[in-house]
Amino acid sequence: MFRSTVLMTFAAPAVVLAIAPAPLAGQHAAPEQLGQPTAVVVSGPEVGTEAPDFLLSWAGRDGLGPIDRPFTLRAHRGKVVVLLFYPKDFTPTCTVEMASFGDRYDELFGPGVVVAGINADSLETHARFAARLNLPFPLLTDPGQRVSRLYGSADRDGYNRRTVYVIGPDGKVAYRDVRFNPLDPRAYDELRRAVQAARAGV
Amino acid sequence: MAAGMLAASMTLVSPGAAPLGVAPLAAQEAAPGVGAKAPVVTVNDLEGEPVDLGAFIGRKPVLIEFWASWCGSCHQLLPAIRAAHGRYGDRVEFLGINITVNDPPERVRRYLAEHAPPFRVLYDDQGASVRAFDVPATSYVVIIDRTGTIVYTGSGGSQRLEPALRRVVEH
Repeated sequence: MFRSTVLMTFAAPAVVLAIAPAPLAGQHAAPEQLGQPTAVVVSGPEVGTEAPDFLLSWAGRDGLGPIDRPFTLRAHRGKVVVLLFYPKDFTPTCTVEMASFGDRYDELFGPGVVVAGINADSLETHARFAARLNLPFPLLTDPGQRVSRLYGSADRDGYNRRTVYVIGPDGKVAYRDVRFNPLDPRAYDELRRAVQAARAGV
Repeated sequence: MAAGMLAASMTLVSPGAAPLGVAPLAAQEAAPGVGAKAPVVTVNDLEGEPVDLGAFIGRKPVLIEFWASWCGSCHQLLPAIRAAHGRYGDRVEFLGINITVNDPPERVRRYLAEHAPPFRVLYDDQGASVRAFDVPATSYVVIIDRTGTIVYTGSGGSQRLEPALRRVVEH
């Protein structure tokens, strides 16, 4: 199955192209439906599997990215890529999460690693948010959450769950945290170690 | 076919050993909510000294706020915390656990010097309590009765703490 869709918003030119050979955007299944309140159902590409390619418009601290140069996963093949799915710009917890990634960028990621934040906010909002926090990485806009669903990160309410993927230079998922808690210092340590491990494989 | 693909793309994660490349599961388990026993963990204070929450939980009523100096909701909640402490501070242990992310000790100390929140300050630089309570946001308040059972959880700058506090001191 090959699916591709192009969505344009009127507020800002945002391009979404999900190139998804396989994984369906799995719906989040409530644990209670399975009768296991202590279990969590997650979807999206598993560790060791191919990370679905996609194409999204982006903005950064210097403004909107060129419309003819959207972010694609395929363009970064050969590098370690970190995808940071998060709910919403300018909310308190997202702010501290993204600020932590920005402030600790060198320590957490290091040179040669491609980092991108993703949620459904507009390009204009992303540009303001990235400028406010002086983020050294782009924020991708996924207005229909099509890509977020591919990665099992879209919640039912239109926001993304906090999900982190580290994708190796071979394009496969090297690490994922399907419930990244930005208030837990250890979550950042785990991510740093995962990025280091993926970089060691470059 | 679609159902099969969907099943293949979904994983039931149950508590246990984390497979390689997957984040540990402790934080993925259900958060302890109202009616559950409060987890008892050890958290450092600002001087790096370990403090066993078991010294309070299960021994007397406890109010915990997970906070940060950059948290606007926490600051907004401070008058309510002060009022609650003024009324119940002699019977309820008030703990303020700083979540430490983007909040270095020197900044925390400046905040404490300026605003003097009325709780015993802990500095969870290991994240033990954040994981154990599965803290969803700063300004997250947990009120625990003297048996160690959680009777209230909430977050935000305008929480009504009075009913839960009255309950834990009367029972």
